[in-house]
Amino acid sequence: MLSDRRKNIAIFLLPSLVMLIVTVVVPLLYSFATSFFSLDLKYKGWGEFVGLGNYFSALKDQYFMGSIKTTVIFSVIVVAIEFIVGFAIALLFNTNVKGKNFFFSIVIIPMMITPVAVGLTWRLLLHSTLGVVNWFLSLLGIAGKAWLADNATALATVIFIDVWQQISYMVLVLLAGLVSLPKEPYEAASIDGASKWQSFKFITMPLMAPTFLVAILLRLITAFKTYDLIYVLTKGGPGTSTEVVSYYIYKTAFTHLKTSKAAAMSFILLIILIPVSYIATRILKNRNEG
Amino acid sequence: MATVTLKGIKKIYPLSDDDKKKGKKGLFKKHEEEIEHEEKVNLQITDQGTVAVQEFNLDIADKEFIVLVGPSGCGKSTTLRMIAGLETISEGELYIDGQLVNNKPPKDRDIAMVFQNYALYPHMSVYDNLAFALKIRKTPKDIIDKKVRDAAEILGITEYLHRKPKALSGGQRQRVAIGRAIVREPQVFLMDEPLSNLDAKLRNQMRAEIIKLRQRIDTTFIYVTHDQTEAMTLGDRIVIMKDGFIQQIGTPYEVFHHPANLFVAGFIGTPQMNFFKTELAEENGQYYVPLFGVKFPMDAAHMEQIKEKGIKPQEITMGIRPEDVSICYEGGVEATVDVCEMMGSSLHIHTTIEDKEIVVIAQSKELPEDKQLGFAHGDKIRLHFDGHVLHLFGLDEKNLF
Repeated sequence: MLSDRRKNIAIFLLPSLVMLIVTVVVPLLYSFATSFFSLDLKYKGWGEFVGLGNYFSALKDQYFMGSIKTTVIFSVIVVAIEFIVGFAIALLFNTNVKGKNFFFSIVIIPMMITPVAVGLTWRLLLHSTLGVVNWFLSLLGIAGKAWLADNATALATVIFIDVWQQISYMVLVLLAGLVSLPKEPYEAASIDGASKWQSFKFITMPLMAPTFLVAILLRLITAFKTYDLIYVLTKGGPGTSTEVVSYYIYKTAFTHLKTSKAAAMSFILLIILIPVSYIATRILKNRNEG
Repeated sequence: MATVTLKGIKKIYPLSDDDKKKGKKGLFKKHEEEIEHEEKVNLQITDQGTVAVQEFNLDIADKEFIVLVGPSGCGKSTTLRMIAGLETISEGELYIDGQLVNNKPPKDRDIAMVFQNYALYPHMSVYDNLAFALKIRKTPKDIIDKKVRDAAEILGITEYLHRKPKALSGGQRQRVAIGRAIVREPQVFLMDEPLSNLDAKLRNQMRAEIIKLRQRIDTTFIYVTHDQTEAMTLGDRIVIMKDGFIQQIGTPYEVFHHPANLFVAGFIGTPQMNFFKTELAEENGQYYVPLFGVKFPMDAAHMEQIKEKGIKPQEITMGIRPEDVSICYEGGVEATVDVCEMMGSSLHIHTTIEDKEIVVIAQSKELPEDKQLGFAHGDKIRLHFDGHVLHLFGLDEKNLF
């Protein structure tokens, strides 16, 4: 018999549990099942059972492997820039600079815009003939470019736009970490004879290390799954120069209609990301306990 | 080892922009909310800001142990932090070892400080916590090692050297904090309520250890506390503060036996001194204090001072310490026992006379046998106030003598 308390808990949890099962668990299991068949939207039915065949064919697909490589390059660069610049901005905000609140609101704005709107805005700004960016450059006597359509600049431009939008996340997380650092060790250090730089090196950096790791890992996970920005800005082009793995999976499923293969690719992506998120949660848990 | 001199030290916390908008009234309210304590804060708020400390003059001799004591918000910690260099000095001059250090950063003052909440470096082992200051000063490794191990030995924390602070108990953390100060061999040792986060038993134990420590590392100590027992037992001299002003500077004996004013009289000593509003009256040249219809005459020593200082009969507040009230069998005033607390060797007897409460401490063995375990509620006893133990304060709350 359930006690009244437990019954109440069950009743209140039920609606959200049903929602989760319907929207997350069922599709997940469905797509997991799909990945072992040769389901193709061009034909009726589930197709044949092919075991791990889709996984092998995905790993042999040079475009898929290429998109993983592009994603890794994109993610690492994006996270590195966001981390370094974001930490610098967070350090600035952690001091008593004038107009802090005003600038803080500005830094936070990009995070509140949906990626699709950001993509569309930047596509217009960077338009090769109508864009404001090239117009400004022409005033300076610099020839403009088709930033997003040029093989040489497309990925860099996408990286720039992603940094522009996502850096506020880094600033926010790192600033929260800085603000919550205890004040006392700094006073003790100043009496112990540490200079500002020594305080930073011996106290701020080691105390911030867990925050650094969590911020970087969480951001790596989201960067690895970037899709909307690419869809709006370049659709993976020119060629495959900005084709990240999420976009390639989408293309496989809905352009090439190879549902089963796309499902297999999704699970390969999941397998790549699980260890990263596992480490991140471990660090978070340790920190909360410590 | 150094002298410390504070000349007309003043601390004003400037108003922030927000506070200016709220005006003085709003600020005062905010202050009362911010500072959590029982006493009313009576800090002065001027156009420049909130005055936390003022007119602070003190000469601290080499190797002296000075205790700053007072209720929360009295400015004692602010004063200590100004000496440390963690707070700027708004006005006045601070000399350490004869040198003006107002504008010197903490690291150039050659001081060490123990904080109330330990302020250990959480990510470093105990060893590294102790060694930090020396490493910063680029002391050779073998000397660091020796000093750290010596300090750990003194404080009995050798076996925890490899541990992180979070794996230590409160008392052990406080030892590490003290150790961190010891290895520095500073000119001045500052301690900001180092024992108040410890439980009562540990506090007594650490207090004794601080006395031992002081004998060992003979240097100048400035110690802040709100606990009068710590102040009395540790200090060579005690500085009693209230609302940013010094109330009295003196040895523990002086502040106990000759409090400068009503505040000091009430602050030092437990249970608190008993106070009565009455007068100092004269009859045929003999001064006396009338109380509950009985005339308590001044003793010869007091009379001499009255003559010397030309003290006139006047309205006064009379104070008498609970241990100075004597129980007698004839004469005196009749009091009714409310509560009697058995403290072991002594009894704390809470009594009332005409609705006024008086606390009396009686040595158990000096009482008749049937009363040695205490009095019952409603018992009548007779109390006598000897002239030589009375403290008399004028209307300005200052000690008449």
